[in-house]
Amino acid sequence: MMYKFPGSLKEVMDDLDEAGDAKIIAGGTDLLIQLADGTQKPDALLDITRIDELKGIQLKEDGLTIGSTTTVAELCRRNGIPRCLLQGAESIGSPQVRNLATIGGNICNASPCGDTLAPLLVLGAIFIIVSGGGTREIAAENFFKGPKATILEEMEILKEIRIPKENLQGTSSFRMIGKRKGQVISQVNTAVWMIIEDETVQDVRISLGSVAPVPVRAFSAEKVIRGNPVTEENIKEAQRALKGDISPITDVRASMNYRLTASEALLSDVLTEAWNAPGGRQ
Amino acid sequence: MNIYFTCNGKQISLDVDPGIRVLDLLRDVLNLYGTKEGCGRGECGACTILMDGKAVNACLMYASKLDGREVLTIEGIEGEDGALHPVQESFLEEGAIQCGFCTPGMVLSTKALLDELPEPDTKEIEEALSGNMCRCTGYAKIIKAVEKSAERLQEKS
Repeated sequence: MMYKFPGSLKEVMDDLDEAGDAKIIAGGTDLLIQLADGTQKPDALLDITRIDELKGIQLKEDGLTIGSTTTVAELCRRNGIPRCLLQGAESIGSPQVRNLATIGGNICNASPCGDTLAPLLVLGAIFIIVSGGGTREIAAENFFKGPKATILEEMEILKEIRIPKENLQGTSSFRMIGKRKGQVISQVNTAVWMIIEDETVQDVRISLGSVAPVPVRAFSAEKVIRGNPVTEENIKEAQRALKGDISPITDVRASMNYRLTASEALLSDVLTEAWNAPGGRQ
Repeated sequence: MNIYFTCNGKQISLDVDPGIRVLDLLRDVLNLYGTKEGCGRGECGACTILMDGKAVNACLMYASKLDGREVLTIEGIEGEDGALHPVQESFLEEGAIQCGFCTPGMVLSTKALLDELPEPDTKEIEEALSGNMCRCTGYAKIIKAVEKSAERLQEKS
């Protein structure tokens, strides 16, 4: 197996073309474990962490752009990251894992419990994908096909994540629950983004992870909240509506019933936090 | 693949098998046995080393990742005359070691913390060590050892 550090996007595209069965590696915190049992034997690992075009966080005209190889730790240190994404990033793994893991990796690994995924959905994030043939953009919620499956084609790389300017307004919140606090995989996680005006939620997006094959939007729960203030009654109604939006299963980490109960509780927590967030009123 | 890196202050040039982990490189090639394998999955922190000052899991990195980097293992933390590092002294004094298997990782995570936050509060200590598991001590003496380390390092500076 060959290990290479391509120095540019062009170089990695050429490498992907030439190298037979090549895998992209960034932080490697998921990939290395997946390769450890030896059932997959890639011809080459292409380490993309030295490619400048994939680095950096910038606030531009059209929004916040995050390079795909930005480490989770860098994301946590940065000012101006929307709250739900920051909270999600802080929930990943441990300090050691966060120093290596990248947001691009968390996205492309596409585990339904990935802690940046629900936040990216509610922030209306756009993923910019490059290949030898050019560039395309896709909304975060259309990127995931199933557990560990995305719409990325063989020779494509996630270049950057853009959070549109209008979604940087408003307030947001993220919660996860796991068997312990820290260094734990989410049994359920939840994110919300909302715009509050005149003591009413003008717009809201809610997403949950680990309750379906992909991170999902809770459209029925959103309907309850949109156009209304967040109240105890609304939260209860949204919790009832939530049941129709999610399809949790029993697996090694949690039972279906636990996930149903936890989803409702987390929904209440994130709605409350976002509604009460300081500076949240337009 | 040929890699060049600094390990505990020493320049190293090696031709490595790309398929081995940094953990295997340290233990099997460089004979630095202080870095331990606890889980091999990045979940216990026994393999914690510092890479460019940041705590990382050696079991989660292919060897080539070290190219161009500065690595610090537990062996590299002692003083020039072989004196114990203040963090090591504090761990000993506070009785924060039982079987010792988690200790190299704990010490290095502590060093990484105190290099960045010289006066951490308990929450910050717990957060910084949240990637290091200890089966023996119940963590209380480890937290005290980190606090003592902070005091020691403040006195020194």
